[in-house]
Amino acid sequence: MHEVAIFFLHGLVYAGLLFLVSAGLTLIFGMMNVLNFAHAAMYMLGAYFSYSVMLHFSGQLWLSILICPLILLVIGALIERFLLRPVHKLGHVHELLMTFGLAYIVTELVQWYWGNYPLAVNVSGFLNSTVKIIGITYPVYRIFIFFCAVFVGVAMALILYKTRLGIIIRATVNDSEMVSSLGINVPLVFTGVFAVGTALSGFAGVIAGPLLSVFPGMANEILIDAFVVIVVGGFGSLGGAVLASLIIGQLQSFGVLLIPQLSMVLVYLLMVSILIVKPSGLFGEEPL
Amino acid sequence: MRQKNISYAVIGVLLLAGALMPLVLKQYHLYMMTEIVIFSLFAVSYNLLLGYAGLLSFGHALFFGLSGFATALAIIHIPGLTILNTVLIGLVPSIVAGVVIGGLLLRHKGSYFALLTLAFSALFYAIAIKWYAVTGGDNGLNFTRPDLNLGIFTVSMASLAHFYYLVLIVVGAAIVFCWYFTHTAMGKTIVLMRENEERMQFLGYNTNAARLVLFIFTGALAGLAGSFYVLHFEFVSHKAVSLDMTTVVLLMTFVGGTKKFWGPILGVFIYIIFQNYLSEITDHWALFMGIIFILMVLFVPGGLSEFLLKVQRRLFGKQVRNGGEYAVPEEGRS
Repeated sequence: MHEVAIFFLHGLVYAGLLFLVSAGLTLIFGMMNVLNFAHAAMYMLGAYFSYSVMLHFSGQLWLSILICPLILLVIGALIERFLLRPVHKLGHVHELLMTFGLAYIVTELVQWYWGNYPLAVNVSGFLNSTVKIIGITYPVYRIFIFFCAVFVGVAMALILYKTRLGIIIRATVNDSEMVSSLGINVPLVFTGVFAVGTALSGFAGVIAGPLLSVFPGMANEILIDAFVVIVVGGFGSLGGAVLASLIIGQLQSFGVLLIPQLSMVLVYLLMVSILIVKPSGLFGEEPL
Repeated sequence: MRQKNISYAVIGVLLLAGALMPLVLKQYHLYMMTEIVIFSLFAVSYNLLLGYAGLLSFGHALFFGLSGFATALAIIHIPGLTILNTVLIGLVPSIVAGVVIGGLLLRHKGSYFALLTLAFSALFYAIAIKWYAVTGGDNGLNFTRPDLNLGIFTVSMASLAHFYYLVLIVVGAAIVFCWYFTHTAMGKTIVLMRENEERMQFLGYNTNAARLVLFIFTGALAGLAGSFYVLHFEFVSHKAVSLDMTTVVLLMTFVGGTKKFWGPILGVFIYIIFQNYLSEITDHWALFMGIIFILMVLFVPGGLSEFLLKVQRRLFGKQVRNGGEYAVPEEGRS
């Protein structure tokens, strides 16, 4: 019982991280129809930036949380404006290849600058303590991650469904040409969403650092899971991303507990079965 | 028809040049040359998907590695097999995987297709890493190449030159067959499907069936390349099924150019030679490959083959004929 509860909490925490990464990914995909391979690389970049910031400023996680997503916001905007937009007219394959090349370069650069080994990120103070919930001693930091994800999720939902900006974004996801002819600067919306998605991914990297440690393989590790989340949840659907993150978080967590040999395989099996039953994902519309 | 004769002449000259290689090259370079021939088939098969059908697959290494593992396992567990038998055994799982995965992915195109092939690739990668008992996990599998048995006499495959000739004949034949395939009605159907699938459907073509056949065909070819790759290095590990392997073939194909049949082969030459020399100079050769790749996506989206053709056109001011090699829709049917 005890064990089950702990693994359930672990699953929730991983679901939180996964949601932070896949929320931006699914929005970018829904809007620009670009499968952003560089997304997880940005997550990794966030984690490494955070490592450096904390090294220079004696372990101030709050500072990292403030600075790193901002840096990635700028990087994301630059990537969209100067690397993706010029190849947009060549079609999706070229855009995809571009993000793929970017991911490749970022991974290499990271290994060059920070080395090819895991780096530990330590948090101090309250976040480093443990707390007793439902009879289990559980690290505060993991709970913190989960609440970060909830906070971001709620904020995103409020912006998307309660503001004018959200209406524009959702309309662009639906039909960007129509929105454009209504006098809205669609390329700017693209840049904005891409930048914010990148920043979110970087934020996920910052808070993942202390939990998973920082290493060059961390991007690929979460990339595939995030892709599975957007396939299972449905391309471009925020609600789908929430549900799919929760399912895959639990599947990963209990997979490790019950059948460690097959935990990775389980996730893909889920995806394949969803594809067979409902190719558009849980909340997705039929692909055109 | 004249164009075709020229093509045959080029193929003949290339094969002859390939056949003379062991006489002029040192052992180390012959080793590289063997790798180039094997990867040429891998890249050509990849380009049939990417360039001809317009399907970006991130799962091509799946077939490559699957056949590689099957070949290695056959050599280790079934004694007395000859080299061609192991290659044939290696092809079986690739074809089966092609049928199953192709059947599931039939209706998906573009980014969906890329994503789903990636996921299947990741599935096989996970199996290759986790199933120690069969795949050797991180250690991979070591073995010795079996000999070639031609009925009356046996050719030892321990010698690199012998193995190189075998690769040149079998893999070379497969590449020529790919070239022939692009000239068949089936090959043209695929190109036209890329241009306007709806119209092909209206004309009564079953586009899903054509795509499935293409997927199985290219998968089997990648598998053939994978088998020979494994035989060449006498070693196989999960790296053969990894995303890195797909990255390599994608880079090769893209650098060479997807718009010409010979583009990927050029790309393989450049990639492997570049990699060999660059990796002697710097540890970060992959970074330079990445930067070159990005610059090419930005400025030479057609790859080197297109660039060369442009230069040729500029220099000689001659209209370059397509000869049905690339997918420019042809005016009349011959």
